[in-house]
Amino acid sequence: MVSQGLISGGIMAELEVRVISERREGLLIELGRVVSEHGHVLVRQRLSPDERGAGLTMVLRGPETSRSALEVALGAHPRVLHFESSWGTAEKHGPPVPQEAADAPVVAWAPSMAYGLGMPSGADVARVERMLPSLAKDYPRIFPWLINLEYAVTAEAREASLHLAGRRAGAWVFRRHFALGARLAPADALKRIVVPALRELVAVELRGEQLHVRGCPLCQPGGLSGGRFFCGFIEGLLADALAMGEPSANEVSCHCHGAQECVFELTA
Amino acid sequence: MQDMQQHYNYLLVGLSYVVAVLGSFTALQFALGIPLARTPGQRWGSILAAGTAMGGGAIWAMHFVAMLACSMGAQATYDVVLTAISVLLAVVVSSLGLAIAGSLVFRWSNLLAAGTVMGLGVAGMHYLGMAAMLMSTQVTYDMRLVALSVVIAIVASMAALWLAFNLRGRLQMLGSALVMGIAVCGMHYTGMAAATFNQGGTLPAGFEQGVRGDHLGGVIAIIVMAMLVLALGISIVRQYRRSVLSI
Repeated sequence: MVSQGLISGGIMAELEVRVISERREGLLIELGRVVSEHGHVLVRQRLSPDERGAGLTMVLRGPETSRSALEVALGAHPRVLHFESSWGTAEKHGPPVPQEAADAPVVAWAPSMAYGLGMPSGADVARVERMLPSLAKDYPRIFPWLINLEYAVTAEAREASLHLAGRRAGAWVFRRHFALGARLAPADALKRIVVPALRELVAVELRGEQLHVRGCPLCQPGGLSGGRFFCGFIEGLLADALAMGEPSANEVSCHCHGAQECVFELTA
Repeated sequence: MQDMQQHYNYLLVGLSYVVAVLGSFTALQFALGIPLARTPGQRWGSILAAGTAMGGGAIWAMHFVAMLACSMGAQATYDVVLTAISVLLAVVVSSLGLAIAGSLVFRWSNLLAAGTVMGLGVAGMHYLGMAAMLMSTQVTYDMRLVALSVVIAIVASMAALWLAFNLRGRLQMLGSALVMGIAVCGMHYTGMAAATFNQGGTLPAGFEQGVRGDHLGGVIAIIVMAMLVLALGISIVRQYRRSVLSI
């Protein structure tokens, strides 16, 4: 079922994941396929009953480089209601293990359909995951953490990492403060969810269907745009809030490019 | 026959509104969990809890606090069977209305149906409760005011349900509870204004076996305490759950 290849070259990491699904039938086969696609092998597994259906614990081994993508793929799998993982470096084939990789953090989240966790490709998932608890602890004074993140990740991963952090933070804020009630039309959701949530972070106004943000600390003139964080934040907030459609937020103009305000709009 | 005047104890009138708001607040706390239910059991549990708080607390307990506030110059007791049916009617109809309103996606058709069902439930409970009164008077109604009382109940219920399921933040539950309180009290006091009590000569059959107002007061006090505890309990549990949510 699971490929035994790719156990040479690079850092090999052992990953323990636990998922909860509504049904156990075919779960191992379907998730095994995902594991295989990400170059990991199944070392051992255990299926057990859970009050929500079935719990599957898998110990996996594979290249460190594809671990994050595998975690996200498993977390976003439609059969998965709840996902958590812990990891550590199992063996080393090549360069020394970075300190970050030697840590064994635990990651837990629910799939994208439930909590708005998308996977912006290229994000430094591990760094974002490590930062998120601090971001939650200091919320809404989160900009120092985001600025740190901007500098900590590579230039290529910067926008995607900000986007991922935004989505996770937005989904979290939604579950804390806005989850009670019916799903809304996009215009109502902007007014009743996005604007109050953003007001905790920045000065924001809703004009028509556009959100105008003033004085964003992530978008200084002449610097790089931090707009992807806000796009992710809006998408995370609305992932489970809209009556129909998947939310997608875009930055129309940015203070860092000389505009007076950062302007965002939503398409759903 | 001689018309009898209704006199109100305004402290108890105010208390009746507080009871209606408290019952609505508790009910809406449960009701807002309906769209989030993951299993049919959770969904129906939330619906029944919300319906019981709304029917038994906001509507029924409010009605009898308001009846205790009203002095008609004649002693009254309450028919046990009709009184019990009036509670049941209020709970069932409130549950039905909240089940319709508590769908995941908001629809105007649902709001119209839910508001109508809830409003009719409030009115049905009231007039059944009135019919349960055993006293030496005859009651006649001004049907235009009766119709108005039903319209008030339906419209205000719709407004309260819209607020509950569509707003977010402080106004969501408190605002909707305040409006639902207006729905229940507005209906009740308009319904009472529609009633004329005419002096009769004899006590009806079963008067002695009826429940006395002071006994009902004890039951209502228990209901109000239960609603307070529930409202507080739900708030604490929700606050705790929020605080432990992982990002």
